[in-house]
Amino acid sequence: MAAGPRTSSLLTATTREALIEAELSWIASMVLFFATVYAVLKLDVLWIAFGIAAISLYVLPIISTRNPFRALPWEMTLLLAAPVLLHISSGSRVMLDNFVWWRHLTDLAFALSLATIGFLLTVELRMYTDVRMNRPFGMFFVVMFTMGISGFWQVIEYIGDIVNDTHNLVSNRHVMMSFVWVLVGGTLMGFVYDLYLKAMSENRKRTLGFVHLWEVPNWKKD
Amino acid sequence: MEERLKLLSRAMQAGTVAVAIAGIVTGNLTWVPAAIIALLISFIPSLLRRDLKITLPIELNFWIVLALFLHVVGGFSGFYDSIPGWDHLTHMMSSSLIGALGFVMVVIVDKYVTSIYLPRPFLAFFIVMFTMAMGVFWELMEFANDSLAHTQLQYGLDDTMVDLLFDGIAGFIVAIIGAQYLLRVSADHFVDSLHVDQAKDKVVDFLQKRKDSV
Repeated sequence: MAAGPRTSSLLTATTREALIEAELSWIASMVLFFATVYAVLKLDVLWIAFGIAAISLYVLPIISTRNPFRALPWEMTLLLAAPVLLHISSGSRVMLDNFVWWRHLTDLAFALSLATIGFLLTVELRMYTDVRMNRPFGMFFVVMFTMGISGFWQVIEYIGDIVNDTHNLVSNRHVMMSFVWVLVGGTLMGFVYDLYLKAMSENRKRTLGFVHLWEVPNWKKD
Repeated sequence: MEERLKLLSRAMQAGTVAVAIAGIVTGNLTWVPAAIIALLISFIPSLLRRDLKITLPIELNFWIVLALFLHVVGGFSGFYDSIPGWDHLTHMMSSSLIGALGFVMVVIVDKYVTSIYLPRPFLAFFIVMFTMAMGVFWELMEFANDSLAHTQLQYGLDDTMVDLLFDGIAGFIVAIIGAQYLLRVSADHFVDSLHVDQAKDKVVDFLQKRKDSV
């Protein structure tokens, strides 16, 4: 094979890329995992549910393809882990007590991760069920999902406050501001994921192996 | 049954007119604009039927009129202040209505857009999310109105959260009823019964005529 060395070096280059990519993603998923474990130890029901949902979406492609390289992009995984981390960190609590903008930041982080879950849902529903969405509907779904879940989230927090006699929801204004961030973050991410997939290199899409499924352009129902 | 619902709808529309007249006569004008707007909205389904041949299910039609009627009569009679939970009742009525309209739209989209396929369980899930999202959006609009125009649409945290709770319940109810409905009547049949096809023809005709006349 005359072209042997050239091809093989290209091959090792892509696998190395894939390895780094996957390693970063695994590290990010560990962050998500241990944050969820922490929530479990604290019996923090909502965040346990959030963590389990996020982890399930993370491991589902890996398990179903039996290929550890089918891991989510690391940046997406970090986005998923961010609000859980912010929630459990005591440093964040101090910031929360002292700075208003920090609360907006955590609210936004929460919105971005919810939108990420919504996005992953559209992709994985495409992979494992008959559900088919085109891109506009996918974007609409991400926004509706983000706002819907955060609505239920706040209602459950409120019920929890009454049952446990706590005050996690401080005031109407706070809740409304977090909804504002959810609206902003959800809508933003609807468009960002559209651009994100357009901007992602073909090479990387192949490495990741499934994010391109957000929309399959040629699919038509009979 | 259908005749009865139609009759009831008419009665409630008459009631809305009565509120407007009573408001003007007694000089109690606060709810007059709301009554007039509600009346106009309650005629939209009839207009759709007359001009576009779109026929909403009678139950949905009835639900629209009932929600508007309860809102206007309750407002005019002071039920919002005097009857505890009235606010939440009307809220649940309107959010279930929005959920139902969302359901109709999504079923139509599912039928006419070939790159979309939404099985029933997903449809139900989507409707729950959609109804809640609209509830959140509604509260945000009230909040914006309160902050910018210094009105008092939101009474406080408890009130807002109970509103949202009822939005969520309404979402589940609509999703269950919708999924059950599609189990009895196929989605194709349902969309056919709305006469969306004829509406499309009408619109295409209209656009063609305009094009020809230019």
